[in-house]
Amino acid sequence: MLQTSLEFLKREFFKYYYENISRLVPPEPIRSREFGFFLEKGKGMFRHKCFNSLRDFHEFILNEIPLDIYVSAANYEDPCNRDMSEKKLVNAELFFDIDAESVAAVSEEESAWICQKCNQYGIGLRDGCPSCGAPTELVRLVSEKQLNVALRETEKLIHVLREDFGIAPENMRVFYSGNRGYHVHVNQEDFLNVTGEGRREIIDYLLIQGLDEKELLNFLKRGVSIGGVSLKGVKRRVYMRVLEKAGSVEKLKTSKRETVLKMLEGIVEELKVRIDPVVTIDMHRLMRMPESINSSSGMVKRRIRLEDLPSFKPLEEAIAFGDEETCLKVKIAPRFRLGGRTFGPFKDEEVELPAYAAVYIVCKGLGEYAGR
Amino acid sequence: MMSENVLRAARYPFLPETREFISRNIDLSLESLEKTGSEAALKRAVERVKNALIFKEVKVTALDELNYVREMLSFPIAIILVSMIMNEYVRRMYALGESRGAYRRMLNESDETLLYIGEKMGVGGVLDDENTIRVKIPTYLKLAYSFHAPHWKLVNRAVNNGYVSMGKTEYARLIQVEVNNYVYEKTLEPVPAGAVPDSFRRAADEIVGVWSRLETGKASRVPLREREDTPPCIGRIIRRMENGENASHFERLVVATFMIARSRNIDEIIEFFSKQPDYKYSVTKYQVEHLAGIRGGGKKYSVPSCRTMLTNGLCYPDEYCKGIKHPLRYGEKNVADEPRVP
Ligand code: SF4
Ligand SMILES: [Zn+2]
Repeated sequence: MLQTSLEFLKREFFKYYYENISRLVPPEPIRSREFGFFLEKGKGMFRHKCFNSLRDFHEFILNEIPLDIYVSAANYEDPCNRDMSEKKLVNAELFFDIDAESVAAVSEEESAWICQKCNQYGIGLRDGCPSCGAPTELVRLVSEKQLNVALRETEKLIHVLREDFGIAPENMRVFYSGNRGYHVHVNQEDFLNVTGEGRREIIDYLLIQGLDEKELLNFLKRGVSIGGVSLKGVKRRVYMRVLEKAGSVEKLKTSKRETVLKMLEGIVEELKVRIDPVVTIDMHRLMRMPESINSSSGMVKRRIRLEDLPSFKPLEEAIAFGDEETCLKVKIAPRFRLGGRTFGPFKDEEVELPAYAAVYIVCKGLGEYAGR
Repeated sequence: MMSENVLRAARYPFLPETREFISRNIDLSLESLEKTGSEAALKRAVERVKNALIFKEVKVTALDELNYVREMLSFPIAIILVSMIMNEYVRRMYALGESRGAYRRMLNESDETLLYIGEKMGVGGVLDDENTIRVKIPTYLKLAYSFHAPHWKLVNRAVNNGYVSMGKTEYARLIQVEVNNYVYEKTLEPVPAGAVPDSFRRAADEIVGVWSRLETGKASRVPLREREDTPPCIGRIIRRMENGENASHFERLVVATFMIARSRNIDEIIEFFSKQPDYKYSVTKYQVEHLAGIRGGGKKYSVPSCRTMLTNGLCYPDEYCKGIKHPLRYGEKNVADEPRVP
């Protein structure tokens, strides 16, 4: 990224933070949280930072205009201690990450490849450069289709958290990550102290890992209806879905055991909530700060109210910037939708785009700023 | 006055009411313990610890219960003795013995008493119908994670609206863990200030004597040395295996899961197992991959907890084990993310 592009980003980011700083409210109590920042492109994370007040935090952001802002899921006694164990973890929110990348593949038309070695590029997903053979850098745009699949997963997660884990809706906050995923933060008193091991169990529950299939299989093979089993929780959900799919219990009785097992495994695949396990297990995780800009796209990590979830449109509702026309030199860009409009495809051309789309292209590394 | 409650307090001396009874009726300072003819209580205390070391269970007979003052007093004294011995293995074994005894006794209790003990030990619990009790999920996770059997996994449990339902026996098992935690934490507390009476010293020596006859390898006080990355229990198995000794199935599971947890690669682990007398490449490869979650449904097996190691006779702790519940936490002096026992 050229210096001028970086300056352009910083200017746009500044405008956003200046106008929206009051929306950046870290979870309470702010004094016990660790913060982390990416301040410059290509530099490591600046972490172990802490703040005494919301004012200090806001001041820091407006002075530094970070590219990315993170806050710990955990509360610490000494959050700025550089030694992880010396931080003294008190407790931590439950933090779930649904990565669109791992629930659905992005299509060729929504991707581009760039060879840094010989400066070739094109649309599509190519691992090696066709002219020099070097490994390419793949750029995946934010895909609406992919995000929709991730959103369904998020709804599944929320359903299980409510029904099975008894998490009250007011203790659950759902976010679009600003790029290719959704986050769910759970701040419910009795769950704050669940240890790493306990979190692993929660993950296994959501991913339906380690399920005792034998018991279910035996019930199914005997053709027991749902009224006849005293199953609860995820087992019940799996059982019901198998019955539903089979149509009748009689059919199951006469099917081969392997057939029923296959079916069962298929249902588990369908019902499991595809969260990223590592994120939840690691209590020291930093979470992207709500309402902050995600520098992989220039969109914000946006809070979504539970009732708005089914109709949420990430590519319209997470836009952070205005629509002043901005000149860009675009290397390559597949056709993309943003802010209700469609742009591109572009190749080796200078174009005028509204600021939000220009930021997006620059953040994705597909073009450089060329003045206003 | 000898009501049901007093008997209960004698049978479960870790209950707060026992403490209340003692503090209301008896002076528990060391000097006065020496004076007030508490010899009988001291004797019983020694028996408690010996029971734990020999039978891995502290037994309480009906006669012990009738002798309720002695019985109640013997518990805090036993804790003092164990603290004085200052050995991690004795601490852990004593806690296990007390909790096992309590578990056994709890199985014969009415729903009411069982729930009462659960309540007092912070396990909570709601009786749903005659046979099921439900416990809050976070409490369940805190207590059940140390059990290895698949049916304890949350995914296999009746989970609903924030609770896990279970039968009485399983509920008693959860309380047992909390009793174990409570007793263990108590033994970590420093011995009450004041000169320790000679009778107590003699009692502690007696216990050490019994124990060294039982466990020759363990009874030497481990000198404080540089901490290694591998906890002593696992280091010991590894060394034995390196010498070509045949390890049990469980010991192999421990070593393999430990190496997997420390991100050693599969080939390295198989290579390590190749020194075993009955080594077969394909079998070992299959087993290790299974444990690593590469085969068999992708479930990754975890390293057994300290509890499980102890019950399998494989715990050889040193001072860096203090307070930890899992071998992977070895040497982490601050276990702040483990919620403290109330
Ligand atoms: S790590 Fe746990 S099991 Fe191993 S020796 Fe220490 S206390 Fe015993
Ligand atoms: Zn090239």
